[in-house]
Amino acid sequence: MTEKIDTYKLSNGMTVLGIPMASVQSAAIGLLLPAGAATIPDGCCGAGTIIADWIFRGTKDKTNRELADALDGLGLLRNSNVESKHIALSAALDASNLLEAIELYAQMILNPALDSEQFEYSKQLALQGLLSLEDDPRHETMLLLKEHFYPDPLGRNTAGKKEDLQNLTAEKTKQIISENFDLSQTILAIAGKYDIQKLRPLTEKLFAGEKPKSKKEINTKEPLLDYHHHPHDGSQVHIGIMTQSATPQSGDYYNARVATAILSGGMSSRLFEEVREKRGLCYIVSAGYHCLKETAGIACYAGTTPDKAQETYDVIIKEFRRLAEDIDADELQRAKIGLKSGLVMQSESTMARAQAAATDHYILGKVRNLEEILQNIDKTSIKSIVDFLKNNPFENFCSVTTGPVKIKPV
Amino acid sequence: MEFKHKKLVNGLNVIGEVNKHALSAAIGFFVRTGSRDETDDISGVSHFLEHMLFKGTDNISAHEVNRIFDDLGAQYNAHTTEENTVYYAAVLPEQLQEVTKLWCQLMRPSLRDEDFDIEKNVILEEIAMYKDYPQFEVIEKCRNLHFGSHPCGRSVLGTVESITALTSGQMREYFESRYSPDNITAVIAGNFDFEKICQYIEAGCGNWQPKEAGRKIEYFAGTAKRNYERKHNLFCRHICLASPTVSYQDERSYVATLLAKIIGDSTDSRFFWQLVDTAIAETATMHCDAMDGVGAFFSYIRSSEENGPKVLQITEQIFESVRQEKISAQELQRAKNKVLSGMTIKNEIPMGRLIELGINWVYLNKYRPIEEEIQRIKDVTLDDLTALLADYPLVPFTEFSLGPEN
Repeated sequence: MTEKIDTYKLSNGMTVLGIPMASVQSAAIGLLLPAGAATIPDGCCGAGTIIADWIFRGTKDKTNRELADALDGLGLLRNSNVESKHIALSAALDASNLLEAIELYAQMILNPALDSEQFEYSKQLALQGLLSLEDDPRHETMLLLKEHFYPDPLGRNTAGKKEDLQNLTAEKTKQIISENFDLSQTILAIAGKYDIQKLRPLTEKLFAGEKPKSKKEINTKEPLLDYHHHPHDGSQVHIGIMTQSATPQSGDYYNARVATAILSGGMSSRLFEEVREKRGLCYIVSAGYHCLKETAGIACYAGTTPDKAQETYDVIIKEFRRLAEDIDADELQRAKIGLKSGLVMQSESTMARAQAAATDHYILGKVRNLEEILQNIDKTSIKSIVDFLKNNPFENFCSVTTGPVKIKPV
Repeated sequence: MEFKHKKLVNGLNVIGEVNKHALSAAIGFFVRTGSRDETDDISGVSHFLEHMLFKGTDNISAHEVNRIFDDLGAQYNAHTTEENTVYYAAVLPEQLQEVTKLWCQLMRPSLRDEDFDIEKNVILEEIAMYKDYPQFEVIEKCRNLHFGSHPCGRSVLGTVESITALTSGQMREYFESRYSPDNITAVIAGNFDFEKICQYIEAGCGNWQPKEAGRKIEYFAGTAKRNYERKHNLFCRHICLASPTVSYQDERSYVATLLAKIIGDSTDSRFFWQLVDTAIAETATMHCDAMDGVGAFFSYIRSSEENGPKVLQITEQIFESVRQEKISAQELQRAKNKVLSGMTIKNEIPMGRLIELGINWVYLNKYRPIEEEIQRIKDVTLDDLTALLADYPLVPFTEFSLGPEN
């Protein structure tokens, strides 16, 4: 199962990764541009969302419509997402059109039209996106949770702030693009069916001419892990809880991942069993590992009707706190199998592979191959997980609720 | 890819598509039953029953069910629609036998009262959750308004009242009448040995007693009614529009799929250019829901409350203009490219292929290789679109809107 991963840097420092996949006819592009929410100047919160839309509105030699026609002409399925440090662009298409798609993406990044009239549309869409978040309390809860949990500005709300969005101008946003679109800090990952002999010279030709820019430092402020309530007169109380965990660079990373799977992997895991199966408190209750390069956490979500909110919260906290207790061999084995088979199955998707490779490279400076990850999961033991949990007990929780009633936090 | 089919003596169909290069395998049981097969007094029972299948059999407790699935590293779940209840699991190839054995047992559940009572709370929580999700609520309300007294308008979740009043006896009765082997298809996709898996299915399901589980099929063009509901906790206008189209069995369902892409794909469609690109609406999409003997186009549009009337006016103009001004060859080609890409990417994964295979079988009672599906998309012409629009002109439509108070 050992796979060969193509990794090279262009002369300007841009990283290009290739993950060949047998038996697929598609190829996917994952591109991390260093213009995420945390990299944007204060007072411009939400600029990333505008930029992720604006760059699709034409290039120097293609109008808005010509660019969209060209992308869709390739049958390209595309997505863009603003993260803490990056704007993540992803696309998947029939492999025969891959090189043309890369050329179009290069034009969008290096020569976007950035037309002022189009800027106003992008801005209005970002403002409407913010408004629609008010009608999606679950999503809003999890955005607020990350904002309060991660050191500012790393957890900054990727949807933006209304006042900041209203004040943003095309000129200011152009300046942000010019300062942030630094190819030496950009990662391009290709997964699926591709020809490295063609990919390499093409990426060199398209991207290597762009000079590196000075690297930006981000100063962070440690958060107070406390409780925040967002009133919303809906049917449920949406509860978000987050607490510290080990980063991918840490020697305890795999212990942290397996521990999280014991807490909330499959339907036999502790949270699902205690909260939903035994007590019928929720339809959705789940916790997952979430990380940035600098820090990591376990983020938990549960939605429940107001009279059950406190009990739901209390049961979840209790399960976090007793995670190190009574881990048995079968439970550990199930957590490991679930994690491993999930990873193998996810690896069948070209889009998921490309995104995972780019993120890996950003955080670890290398792409882990699947075999290495599976072996490291296997190496964890009850002792290594219990030691990790005892040395890093869950003491502080950041909690957010959105709904008609508050809870009493720990 | 190699297709396999076996019909057991009791009527259960087993179909499979083998892909020796896949890293995983997926199995599903497709039961041809959903909210359209219910009556008022048991509204929501199909979906509640789907939850209860995971509560085990006389020999397996609910906790053991979850534990066995997790022991196998299965990615498993189920979903219920108006017409189908689908149970599925994807596993690494070496675990397929075990997961198959488990599913075969679960398909004959105990439906214990104590599990029923606890799970009722979970269903009520699920209903509450969707009340906080206006995008779901508006589509469900529009479907209900559009179909009127036709069974396809029935709610999948049911209501707080219908679920509260439902008894385990009513559920058992429903199970007996709908989970008959001739109403179920077992589907397998990915890397597996068909004969071997078939033996397990035959051993596990061969003794199920056949019972004719019918369904009343009736075409309905929709009510074309309009309704607007205001809710105090909303900030945006959520609009859902519905108009009739072809059924799944109709050869023109590919034409209808492409028409919906041309009008309402999330990029480079008529909705996109006239509503989203211009920031009049934040989201505007359209899809074709081709069902058993009936079909509807559904559009979902979200905008500010202020822009709501303008959105409706532009949408009506778009629906009129696709009939009056011809769709261009480029528009059709772009829609084909998008549909074909989506199809290729989805079908590369056994779990994605499983759903396509199973649904095709349930509705058409036949196998369609992916190459045939691709060809059918490629063969659609501009004249096909014109002919479809002549029969299903998009206007008048049913409209349901949800929006804020003042």
